[in-house]
Amino acid sequence: MNQCYGCNTCKSADKPLENYIRSLPVETSHHRVEGQSTKCGFGLQGVCCRLCSNGPCRITPNAPRGICGANADTIVTRNFLRAVASGSGCYIHIVENTALNLKKTAQAKGKLKGLQSLNHLAEIFGITDEDIYVKAEKVADAVLEDLYKPEYVSANLVEKIAYAPRVKRWKELGIMPGGAKAEVFKGVVKCSTNLNSDPVDMLTDCLKLGISTGVYGLTLTNLLNDVLLGQPELRLAPVGLRVIDPDYINIMITGHQHTIFVDLQERLISDEAKAKAQAAGAKGFKLVGCTCVGQDLQLRGAHYTEVFDGHAGNNYTSEAILATGAIDVVLSEFNCTLPGIEPICDELKIKQICLDDVAKKSNAELMQFSFENRAEQSEIIIDKIIAAYKERRGAVPMNLFEEHGNDCTLTGVSEGSLKDFLGGKWTPLIELIVSGEIKGIAGVVGCSNLTAGGHDVLSVELTKELIAKDILVFTAGCSSGGIENCGLMTPEAAKLAGPKLRTVCEKLNIPPVLNFGPCLAIGRLEIVATEIAKELGVDLPELPLVLSAAQWLEEQALADGCFGLALGLPLHLGLPPFITGSKTAVKVMTKDMKELTGGQVIINGDAKETAIILEKIIEEKRNHLHI
Amino acid sequence: MKRIMINASKCDGCKNCTVACMQAHRETPGTIYDLDLTDIHNESRNHIEKMPDGSYRPIFCRHCDLPECVMSCMSGALTKDETTGIVSYDEKKCGSCFMCVMNCPYGVLKADTATHTKVIKCDFCLQDNSEPNCVKACPKNAIYVEEVAL
Repeated sequence: MNQCYGCNTCKSADKPLENYIRSLPVETSHHRVEGQSTKCGFGLQGVCCRLCSNGPCRITPNAPRGICGANADTIVTRNFLRAVASGSGCYIHIVENTALNLKKTAQAKGKLKGLQSLNHLAEIFGITDEDIYVKAEKVADAVLEDLYKPEYVSANLVEKIAYAPRVKRWKELGIMPGGAKAEVFKGVVKCSTNLNSDPVDMLTDCLKLGISTGVYGLTLTNLLNDVLLGQPELRLAPVGLRVIDPDYINIMITGHQHTIFVDLQERLISDEAKAKAQAAGAKGFKLVGCTCVGQDLQLRGAHYTEVFDGHAGNNYTSEAILATGAIDVVLSEFNCTLPGIEPICDELKIKQICLDDVAKKSNAELMQFSFENRAEQSEIIIDKIIAAYKERRGAVPMNLFEEHGNDCTLTGVSEGSLKDFLGGKWTPLIELIVSGEIKGIAGVVGCSNLTAGGHDVLSVELTKELIAKDILVFTAGCSSGGIENCGLMTPEAAKLAGPKLRTVCEKLNIPPVLNFGPCLAIGRLEIVATEIAKELGVDLPELPLVLSAAQWLEEQALADGCFGLALGLPLHLGLPPFITGSKTAVKVMTKDMKELTGGQVIINGDAKETAIILEKIIEEKRNHLHI
Repeated sequence: MKRIMINASKCDGCKNCTVACMQAHRETPGTIYDLDLTDIHNESRNHIEKMPDGSYRPIFCRHCDLPECVMSCMSGALTKDETTGIVSYDEKKCGSCFMCVMNCPYGVLKADTATHTKVIKCDFCLQDNSEPNCVKACPKNAIYVEEVAL
């Protein structure tokens, strides 16, 4: 141990974590950044096409078209649509499984923890049944029915979920989606070899995919999860590697499909399971949060105080969490389960069990989740976990980092809990915005990556800049994991805010950065924005609200981003989404979009510059609203 | 003097060197992301040729010990620095006779595509005070800088 594994790790906004990772005797993603530092210029610009055997074709001054004749605009937008369709597919997979789990739970008359959310959904969907199980099944069916519609049949729920002025605009633009799965299908057909070559037509499809991603994959996944798992409640919780307690059998969970864990979570704290753990020499079982499923569990932590230890970190913290030696099993069911955890799991004898084959890791045991067999599966998993614990504990070194993170991060923020906190109405927040105590709201959302300055560097720096300008920050996604571990979600972080926001935070004893949890909760931000806009009687693009996916990582983030654009919101990205090779794509996204939906893409890798740009946009919106 | 050495067997033809050269010599400021890859003004001073056997040949200015380009330059636009070994090109002195292009044994020199009035010539990225950008961009070390005797 303690040998240096190259001393060439990338920076992290979380300095203690950076030092910890640098000292590890295993290789992590942070170590691999340097080796991958030479990037392909064509790839960065999105002008490499390998859709046919004539390729890969790349655009240069001497070769401005691929062999087929596709120019930079076609190549870029085809690649982009392909990425957005893929990202949308990921979210639609999540909502499909969530709806199926709700439906089956309702049929089995299982526990529904969030009746308020159920009633809310039933009301929106026009379901009037009294029986909660009938209601829940009908709600799930309504979602599934929409997901499975053909692309040419309009989806039902979009108009019910989305804000009316937005729906009106989407209809004018002809971007109302059909069935969400079929939209993904159409997207991938459209961008295949020698089909669509019209950049604007393909970008239009990206907006449609953005809407179906947002309405179903984000907003509805949250609300369906609320029904099954319980509504978020505000609470202070520990975060970071400190949450790992080596006296317990520790299970790191990664993914996005929280409902898959429902049965197991309950069973892990049953007397029988505890007895098994104690017989093996542990105090019991603990789930250690990682990636968005951990973030979601943290959000609902009030309902899971016994089994859940806390959120340890985001996607690019997962290798460090494992390297503590105190994790016995990884249970994964979706991304962002990095392939890089595999050699570490091998080295530290950590058992990997995968619950959904879409995220099958090469050395994980696949146990495809089956609702019908959930009880039996949970028992088998518990026995496997016990076996892994017995085999590895004592045989592998511990390398705990108990000082990492902090003890009082405010979590559990949702559209519901925040409104309750404000006294059941948005008026107090609106008044603070109108009076200028809060200049505006910025959603710093999406992923964590290692290349926009380093691990969480841009997200954290930008957040600091924004709060210093009296802009309240909401987070959702792996950005939350990084920002919370850096302490910006503790009430003490108020002192980092500008004088006005600081006063507000200190008065209310809240941090200047509010943690909405997983990336799925971008849908919750949209609900907050919509409810505020409704109260003010304005459309979303008029609000002093900006989004930043400063450290967007993957295709899902691009689908999220398209939702943001469809909502008409300014969207900042720290790194360009492989589109800059197309003048048309750049023009549409950064300029024309303002006329189309009201949104715009802003690309900037510098925190200070970005904060100034976003502040200016917020001020313009304030002026427009005469506040 | 320093010279860009070539290990052609390592070249995958990725053209990272080409894009890096275009970026290093672009007229407008900006990043690799907004370099206009369709603009003929953004020319690379190097290129990659594909051989009949499928292998690649990176073609780079050798800053020759006995530079044919310098010897054939009648206007004095091309000169060899005896200390650094670098063969430099002064656009202002160039008469656009292109004898250098005719005489380059490696076929690396060429007239600029947009105006056909000047020569596109490697300057070893001296303006950047570091390794040539093409060398920095090569993921395979197929090109590298080596100190050679003058």
